[in-house]
Amino acid sequence: MRREIPLVITFVVGMIVLLARIFTAADGGEFILAKWAGELTDWVIIVSAFAVGLASVNLFRIHGDIVARKRPGWINSLTLLAAIVVFAVIGIAARFGAGPFFSELNQNLYDSIISPLGAAMFAILAFYIASAAYRAFRMRNLEASVMLFAAILVMLGRAPVGELIWNQFPSIANWLVDIPNTVGQRAIMIGAAIGGFATSLRILLGIERGHLGGVE
Amino acid sequence: MDWKKLQNIDRRIIYILLILATAVPMIRPLAIPLSTGPSVHKFYQIMDAIPAGEKVLFSLDYAPSGAPDVHPQALAVMKHMMNKGVGVVFISFWEAGPMFGEQLIRAYEEQGYEYGVHFANLGYVPGGESAIKRFGEDVAGQVSRDFRNNPVSSLPIMQGIKDTRDFAAVICFSAGNPGVQEWVRQVQGPLGINLLAGAVTVSVPQYMPYVDAGQVKAMLAGLRGAAEYETVSGNPGPSVAKMDAQSLGHLIIIAFIIVGNIAFFMDKKKQ
Repeated sequence: MRREIPLVITFVVGMIVLLARIFTAADGGEFILAKWAGELTDWVIIVSAFAVGLASVNLFRIHGDIVARKRPGWINSLTLLAAIVVFAVIGIAARFGAGPFFSELNQNLYDSIISPLGAAMFAILAFYIASAAYRAFRMRNLEASVMLFAAILVMLGRAPVGELIWNQFPSIANWLVDIPNTVGQRAIMIGAAIGGFATSLRILLGIERGHLGGVE
Repeated sequence: MDWKKLQNIDRRIIYILLILATAVPMIRPLAIPLSTGPSVHKFYQIMDAIPAGEKVLFSLDYAPSGAPDVHPQALAVMKHMMNKGVGVVFISFWEAGPMFGEQLIRAYEEQGYEYGVHFANLGYVPGGESAIKRFGEDVAGQVSRDFRNNPVSSLPIMQGIKDTRDFAAVICFSAGNPGVQEWVRQVQGPLGINLLAGAVTVSVPQYMPYVDAGQVKAMLAGLRGAAEYETVSGNPGPSVAKMDAQSLGHLIIIAFIIVGNIAFFMDKKKQ
C-alpha cells in the first residue's frame, strides 16, 4: 500500500491537470476538471509557502546545533540566525502595519545591506569571467575558433564602443543572436519538452518511481 | 619574448585593469554614443500606445544579484508609464521582488503620486510556475492583501481587474526562473495576454525563440536595453552612463583574449 497509494494519487492528480487543459465544457462555461485543476494548483502554492517555513526551521535546527556545540565557524552560524530573526521581526512588523518606522527600517535594511551585498556577489563574477575568458578562449581547433569569434562579435556588438569602432558590429551581433542562436535554442527547447513529456508520462503511469523516495 | 608568461598573466593584473575600466567611466562618463535597436523601439511603441488611465502589470522576478542588469529597465519603463498617466501594479514570484517594487514606488510617492491610485504593490506569491498560472487566471483570488497589508479590493487601481487580460500589458522583468518562460507557458499561451519582457543579459539568448514566435511582443536586453529605452523615451539617465563602464569592460576582456591567443600561436610556432 505504501507504493500503490502514492501511485494512484499521482495518476489521478496528473490526469485531472492534464485533461483540464485538453477539454473544455460543451456550453463554453467552466469545465469541472478545470475547477479541480485550479484547486490542486492552489495546493501547490500552499505547500510552497510551507516549504519556506520548513526551510527556516531546518536552518535553526542545523545552525542552532552548531552554535550550541560551539563547532568551528559557530560565529557565522550565530550571525545567520541573528540576521534571520532581525529581518523576520522587522519584516513582519512592517508587513502588518506596525507603523511607518518599521516600514522605513525594513526598506532601508534591504536597500543598504541585502541589495548591495547581492549585487557585489554577482559583480565578482565579472572578474572570474574576464580571467577565465583570457585563459580558456584559445583558437585550438575550428569549433573553439568559431565560438571565440562569435563571443567577440557579440561583445563588440552589444557594447556602444563596438559601434564606435565599426558601425556594422551591432548588426552582426543581432544576426548571431537572432538566427543561429534562436535556431539552436529552439531545438534544445523542443527536445527538452519532448523529454519532459515522456518523463511525465512515465511518472503518471507509475513506470518512473524516483519521486517515491526509493520505495520499492 | 617569454610567450609562456604572456599566456599566464597574473589574474590580479586582470582584476585591477577591469576595476579601473569599469570604475573610471562611472566617476567620469565618456559619453560614448548609443544607438537604439528595433526591439527597444517596438517595446517603446507598445508601451507608448497604452492610453492614460489604463493599467499595466510589472512582474518583478529578480533578486539583488540580477538587479543591476534588470532594475534599470523597470525604472525606465516606470518613468514612462508615470509620465503617461498609466497605472502600474507590481507582483513578484521571487521573494526579493516586492522590495524592488517599493523602491520604484517611493520615488514617485515623494513627488505626490498616490499609492493605490497610480500604483500598487501586490507583494510576493510563492509557488513558482503554479503561482504564475493561478495569478494569471485569477488575480484577485490569489492576492487578497497587498504588500502594505491593504485589502486588494479596496485599491482603486485594482477595480475591474479579474485576470491578467485586464491589464493593457504584462511586463516580466526576469533574472531567471520562474520568469519569462513560465509566463509564456502558463499565461500568455492559454489567455493570450500582451506579454513583454525585460531580461538579464545572460538569459536573452534563451528567450529569443519566444520573441521570434511573437509570444513575447518585445524584449529589453539587460542594462543596454534599459539605456536604449531611456534614450528612446527622451530621458537619458543612469543606465546610459553605466554603458560606458560596460564598453570598457568588454574591451579589456577582448584585449586579454587577443593577447592570450597571440602568445599561444607564437609559443606554438617557437616550438
